[in-house]
Amino acid sequence: MATLLSVRDLVVRFRTREGTVHAVNDVSFDLEEGETLGLVGESGCGKSVTNLAIMRLLPKPAGHIEGGSVLFDGEDLVTMEESEVRTLRGRDLAMIFQDPMTSLNPVLTIEEQLVETIRAHRKVDRGQARRRAVELLTRVGIPRAEERLADYPHQFSGGMRQRVMIAMALALEPKLLIADEPTTALDVTIQAQVLELLRALTDEMGTSLILITHDLGVVAGMTQRVNVMYSGFIVETGTTVQLFAEPHHPYTVGLLHSIPRLDAEEATPLIPIEGTPPDQLREPLGCPFAPRCAWRVERCWTVNPPLTPIDGSPARSARLSGADATHRVACHNQPTREEAEAGRPLRPGFVAAPPPGAIAAQLPEPDADAVAAFAGDDR
Amino acid sequence: MTVPAVSVEGRVELRPSRGLWSDALRRLVRNGPGMVGLALISLFVLAALLAPVVAPYDPIAGSLADRLKGPSLQHLMGTDLQGRDEFSRILYGAQISLQVAVVAVLMGLAMGGTIGALAGAFAGRIDGVLMRFVDVLLAIPGILLAIGIVAWLGRGLPQLMLAVAATTTPLFARLLRGSLLALRDADFVVAARSLGASRWRILWRHMLPNALTPLIVAATLALATAIIDVAGLGFLGLGPPDPRTAEWGTMLTESTRFLRAAPYLLLFPGAIIVLTAVGFNLLGDGLRESLDPRLKR
Repeated sequence: MATLLSVRDLVVRFRTREGTVHAVNDVSFDLEEGETLGLVGESGCGKSVTNLAIMRLLPKPAGHIEGGSVLFDGEDLVTMEESEVRTLRGRDLAMIFQDPMTSLNPVLTIEEQLVETIRAHRKVDRGQARRRAVELLTRVGIPRAEERLADYPHQFSGGMRQRVMIAMALALEPKLLIADEPTTALDVTIQAQVLELLRALTDEMGTSLILITHDLGVVAGMTQRVNVMYSGFIVETGTTVQLFAEPHHPYTVGLLHSIPRLDAEEATPLIPIEGTPPDQLREPLGCPFAPRCAWRVERCWTVNPPLTPIDGSPARSARLSGADATHRVACHNQPTREEAEAGRPLRPGFVAAPPPGAIAAQLPEPDADAVAAFAGDDR
Repeated sequence: MTVPAVSVEGRVELRPSRGLWSDALRRLVRNGPGMVGLALISLFVLAALLAPVVAPYDPIAGSLADRLKGPSLQHLMGTDLQGRDEFSRILYGAQISLQVAVVAVLMGLAMGGTIGALAGAFAGRIDGVLMRFVDVLLAIPGILLAIGIVAWLGRGLPQLMLAVAATTTPLFARLLRGSLLALRDADFVVAARSLGASRWRILWRHMLPNALTPLIVAATLALATAIIDVAGLGFLGLGPPDPRTAEWGTMLTESTRFLRAAPYLLLFPGAIIVLTAVGFNLLGDGLRESLDPRLKR
């Protein structure tokens, strides 16, 4: 399969009153035609920003792409003129947002919004666009599509609105669809239906899908490959099967242990990831996960590990996409298989390295309230 | 808002869908004060339209024999110094007030709307320059600004309209700019951009219609202010150029000289001005409540 999207060393910064936020740091990944990639991480880890950058929809004037390139179909989206990007949006690149309640225009009917999208890119008359709209709504499972075209968004339920959004995003059979937490705002009963619909439609159209989520269950069911992001870095990447079977980054291990499993033989305690993500106003120093990591060694505080293949092969020979993508991880002290299963270090006498003096001085003073809140905990 | 109703066969049916505007209209009809306002304004508009038919006397010609008569069956609101029928003059006065107020508010909407739309759509330098201009206008008290404009351009109805329009412009400009700025990062605007809508299309189809309701409310409320401003300018002697023209503010000025002899000459035009302004205010508040989906009950 040919490579559709190739992100290289993408750096996104936000200039705010408080300082510069290091939102995305040297992120590189590939996506093949028809491939489904999951992007996982907690809130604020840079998942959404990465994709807004790809779409060139970063909120202005604060957010901007500081460096790197985003090759889409061989053309660099980063340096492209706004007008050229606009013709790609909707036609070749499309996006579905988290909250279907707010992502449709409340004062326009579904017909106006769908027909407008179609006519923005295709030279068809109103009647043809309307027929296509009915076809699309029927395809995404909206009953009585012909009549419902005249309805306003507030007359649809959340799940139905997300179906309408999917119809709009896929109206022109784009090559790449980015779905930003498409089911987070929906009822659990609706989530599976909407995901199934997304999968069926992207399969049918051969559309590549980037699925942003923090739900590992969704990732397991929907994606072929996963990027795990933390604090604006990709910390682990590989095929979904590899990643779930053998997580090699302490953060991935933590994520897998922080969700309840229904299929577990016996009740296993959930292990939360202690602490909060780092302050991204600082230039990252060392591994961003080090302060919360149970496996950290001294080097983690000072040297940010690069993404390297887990089998020790040279980074240059790594396969970046597809079913045989190389499983790569950015970690100095990877958990062993047993440790990954247990969710904690098992080596006798191993203690996470305390921050070296020079770095400890730079770390923010512990917040008195936070310390009080943790009293009785392990501190 | 579709309400499922179970029909005879036990099948769930949906009530026919309604648009946003008909929903709003339904809420307005149920809004008591708003309807009182609408009634007052209807009276006012009818008076203006039907003045030539309804008025019992000529508003300009009077007979000196009938001067300063108190209210009676012949003259419902009495007569003024020149024996003109006060009731007829108030009916004709509604024409001037309505005409000037409506045209002035529309002009203000056009000017303020353009400024606000440009400022809200193009951030940066254009926004800065336009908003500083609006700040300057806002810094001058409205009636003072209007006096200045009439003094500068001379008396006359077009000048009067422009003067009142100038006082409402900054209000509309700020309101629209604020709404547009809030809408710029709205999810559905980002979604529309992600589907390739052009900048112009997003402003025109997605942002402006959503910014419209506060503007409608503000325009209704501005009509109340405009009525008072017109009367105020008339009272200050800056009304219509022909001193014989029936105009509520001018009528008030004339009456002040006979405050003791003919207090009704002050009472009637004054009360009418207040009632009209109250009418627009009530309707404006009613519209605000029925157009704002967040206040939906």
